[in-house]
Amino acid sequence: MSERSGALSRSEELDLYARLIEGDPTAPSDLAVTYLDRLTEWLIRHNPGVDPHDCATAAEDAILALIKNPRSYKSERQTLEVYLRISALGDLRNRLRSEQRYRERRVPLDVVELSPDARKYLWDVVGDPALIVEKLEDVDLATIRANLQVALTEEENRVLELMTQGERRTEAYAAVLGITHRPVSEQRRVVKRVKDRIKKRLERAGGWSE
Amino acid sequence: MSDRIDALARRVVNDPHFLASVLWVYARSEGVDDEDLAGMLGCPVSTLAPLALCRRPRPEPPFFQQDVERIAQHFGIRPETLAEIVRRADALAALQRGAEGDRGFLMAARDATEEVNHEENRT
Repeated sequence: MSERSGALSRSEELDLYARLIEGDPTAPSDLAVTYLDRLTEWLIRHNPGVDPHDCATAAEDAILALIKNPRSYKSERQTLEVYLRISALGDLRNRLRSEQRYRERRVPLDVVELSPDARKYLWDVVGDPALIVEKLEDVDLATIRANLQVALTEEENRVLELMTQGERRTEAYAAVLGITHRPVSEQRRVVKRVKDRIKKRLERAGGWSE
Repeated sequence: MSDRIDALARRVVNDPHFLASVLWVYARSEGVDDEDLAGMLGCPVSTLAPLALCRRPRPEPPFFQQDVERIAQHFGIRPETLAEIVRRADALAALQRGAEGDRGFLMAARDATEEVNHEENRT
């Protein structure tokens, strides 16, 4: 079979997808040959702080998932390539979250600095029209963390999670920070200090908007 | 073919959805390497990885023949050889399942015997 170096046209893409749905035994191979390298390279390019091996595995996962369940793709919503990118980003995010959970080193957020690569990554993701999401923090929170070149403390991670979920109640933050036994006024001060610190870092990276 | 396609083909050798599982079982049982396998199929070695990422042919007639011919035509390989490889791998897998079933049956029988003996010794 001939190798394909570029993206497929929309009609070629739909034809390949139709072959997957119809059970053409050669369609899974064509899908992988067409998209695996492109998808992996795209992930590596947009996640410069992430191990390329993790990017490759996430790309494989996305392609295998589509082969096993081709109806998960809705052709009227987006192109096949965009669907695969979103799916692979989701896989990568889950992988990074899992690794983050088990990371041994815990460095407080205020003693580290952002890298130029992190800024580039954040800019690239926002600027990529292929992503059909609007808020950066919704795209790939775990990757943002990875690119901040920090291992957040467990508490800081949970605060960041709450922030991205739009949580506004002080008691929710106080609970994850383990300060619910302190006076409410003090809880507010501590919560605000931690949130401001995280926001400041993300603002400097261009990745936070209220 | 890219190294990533090779890696993906290796990743799915134990997944019965893919032809990779068939090719792997056959190559292992017959003691053939990639060059031998490619020679038998009439294709370059570089074709083996994308070939392995095809869906395994459905076993029921007439789908088996249709799938084998479709794959053979797509990759320019010998359909009769591919069919033979799939059948041989299926037969080996059936034999293995049978052997495991026998082993399971014998183990269950032995357990039952030991249990009876244990009960007899207690009484």
